[in-house]
Amino acid sequence: MAAAKTRASSFSRHLSTAAPSLGPGLKCGPNGTVLLSSGIPDLDKILGGGFPLGSLVMVMEDAEAPHHMLLLRNFMAQGLVHSQPLLYASPARDPRGFLGTLPSPAASKDDKSRGPEPDQEKGLRIAWQYKKYFGENQLNFDGQRDGKHEYSNEFNLRNPLERHFINGQRVDCVSIQDSPDLSILQDRCTTFLSQLPRNDGSISCAGRIAIQSFCSPQCVYSNMEWEMLSFIRSLKNMVRSSNSVAIITFPPSLLSPSFCKRWQHMADTLLSVKAIQDDDKELAQLLTGYQDMIGFLNVHKVARINTQVPLILEATTFSIKLQKRRYLVLECLNQAPVDGSSGNSDGTSGSCSSSSKTGNLDF
Amino acid sequence: MAKSICTALREGALEGELAPALTIKDSIASPFGLQVFDHVLSQLFSSILAGKSPSQGLILVSFSRSPSFYLELLKNKGISVASSDKRIQILDCYNDPLGWKDQLVEISSTVTVFREVKHMDKLFNSIIELGRGLVGGGKIRFSIAIDLVDEMLRRASVSSVARLLSNLRSHEQISSIFWLLHSDLHKARVTAVLEYLSSMVASLEPSHQLANGQRGDLENFALIEHNSKKGKFHVRFKKRNGRVRVMSEEVHMEQAGVNFTPLSSEGAINQGLVPKVQFNLQLSEKERIDKANVVLPFEHQGDNGKPLQIYDGRRSLVDSKQERAVAVEKEESDSQRGEIIYYRDSDDEMPDSDEDPDDDLDI
Repeated sequence: MAAAKTRASSFSRHLSTAAPSLGPGLKCGPNGTVLLSSGIPDLDKILGGGFPLGSLVMVMEDAEAPHHMLLLRNFMAQGLVHSQPLLYASPARDPRGFLGTLPSPAASKDDKSRGPEPDQEKGLRIAWQYKKYFGENQLNFDGQRDGKHEYSNEFNLRNPLERHFINGQRVDCVSIQDSPDLSILQDRCTTFLSQLPRNDGSISCAGRIAIQSFCSPQCVYSNMEWEMLSFIRSLKNMVRSSNSVAIITFPPSLLSPSFCKRWQHMADTLLSVKAIQDDDKELAQLLTGYQDMIGFLNVHKVARINTQVPLILEATTFSIKLQKRRYLVLECLNQAPVDGSSGNSDGTSGSCSSSSKTGNLDF
Repeated sequence: MAKSICTALREGALEGELAPALTIKDSIASPFGLQVFDHVLSQLFSSILAGKSPSQGLILVSFSRSPSFYLELLKNKGISVASSDKRIQILDCYNDPLGWKDQLVEISSTVTVFREVKHMDKLFNSIIELGRGLVGGGKIRFSIAIDLVDEMLRRASVSSVARLLSNLRSHEQISSIFWLLHSDLHKARVTAVLEYLSSMVASLEPSHQLANGQRGDLENFALIEHNSKKGKFHVRFKKRNGRVRVMSEEVHMEQAGVNFTPLSSEGAINQGLVPKVQFNLQLSEKERIDKANVVLPFEHQGDNGKPLQIYDGRRSLVDSKQERAVAVEKEESDSQRGEIIYYRDSDDEMPDSDEDPDDDLDI
């Protein structure tokens, strides 16, 4: 708001006239940050809206499962759907081939319904006072989806992304297998990020960098640990002063423990994926929905830019499920219902009686 | 399970997928790796000969044993190599790996001598050339067996060996590949790299762990002898859906080879995979005992011979009648002295009614 009064003092507060206009796929976040979507709506919700521009996301892979590829696919596909420039580096000979496996956005929002349908509930009469709050939530949710450019899409992992998204874009692919050191990758990142400088004011588009399996053993530089660390540090600095988000996945079992820790400290947002054992009877008893789970996702650190206040999550471990074998869904872990005979401390299963040792109580 | 490994190797890769790769690893405590390798080799080769596999040929890269050993081995297993000349080729890296000898007597047409073990890319080219020579070009596939990866790691760097293996896996003509590794000859990182590159990891472990590697003890001699004949065979499969299947068997060394039998006792449950959730999901020993001792309120406790009493938190009518009977008896015995006739209040009265019993005091 422009200051209407003239002030006596020589100091006057200069307030910007309007919120900066943002391109597609971006929204304002807390503390003056701008967020972009990770491609997985559940993950956006967990992280408080999405990835802030200028942050470095690192994902620790599990050598036994390819779940980091799911995260990368959704991240890259979301960027392409929003016409955001993308730089993709991988140790494969032909990284372009991976673009063919990117998922396409879900066809229509009716395909996938998770919230309760209000029509169904009309037949039921629920004497539940919280219904009024739930209804409001639903309205907000629908309102978001009506927007032309949705901030985040559900991706159908079974359908490949249409060609026109990939071809008409500024998509750059780098193979990092054969380069003797990281200079090629460094140069490509520098040129990519120079197109996206950060100015005060409107952000027309934001870029995404995805580096897959960074310390993969096939790469020649994979034993040059200090060089890799300084690359990460310089990438982090470049990203911080540009309008982009970089995501790096790496297998921590292939690094020495001290370097693994150093890399983890470099990250603004740190996630890890873990494989799940098949036919594990104990796990099946402990967790509901074990059959549908394909892995676990842990959130170790969440980026907090422009603030000192950390984000403390209610839960840090989530199960990765594929709903209808298409949509990536993250769920909180639910302990399976325990039957009445559980420990002596609060053996309540609905009865308000204490154990019969103290005698019959006439409650 | 050895059968599932051989099935997976026999079935080979699907279109567009990396070839399944098996790492067999052993250590000095249970040194049967070479025998297990021979077993898998003969199984795979016989299924190739029988036409059960999409793979049309087998390339064996021998580092640790002479090719004539393998030809003998296959003959002993009942597979005649002479007729199967067109199905197997052995790349001999045993007789002259560094090219020191001027001339070498050719053993048979199935054996090709390779002299430049230090150069992994030349090895790659020779393997592919040999394979193409065996099955032809195009889409016909062949399998590869490398008997000792340790020898490759002696002479070349880890990243070049990793590059060779991953390029072999991603080559479109290769159906499956497996190799043997002695895990205690390397740093942990090297074993982690090879496990990262493979889709199945079979490890041989001793059935009884020796205490701190002390080998001089008399008690330990018995264990060592036991371990030299028997061991445990653990396999971890990385499945396509991202889950890990863990299986275990017992392996016995015999004259003819190795024998696999199912485990006699229950394998240890993998505690490490249970994620950290807010609840403590494990029970300590004391808690376990207490849990067993809890008397459940709703459980029928008719085993004492007492009549079934379902305790529901209130005094039942039966109880009160019994008490009344007891009270009446007492009264009758006291009737000579004086009569205090007390009748219990009605059952309807709630014990903690709202009335204050002191209400009728007039102070």
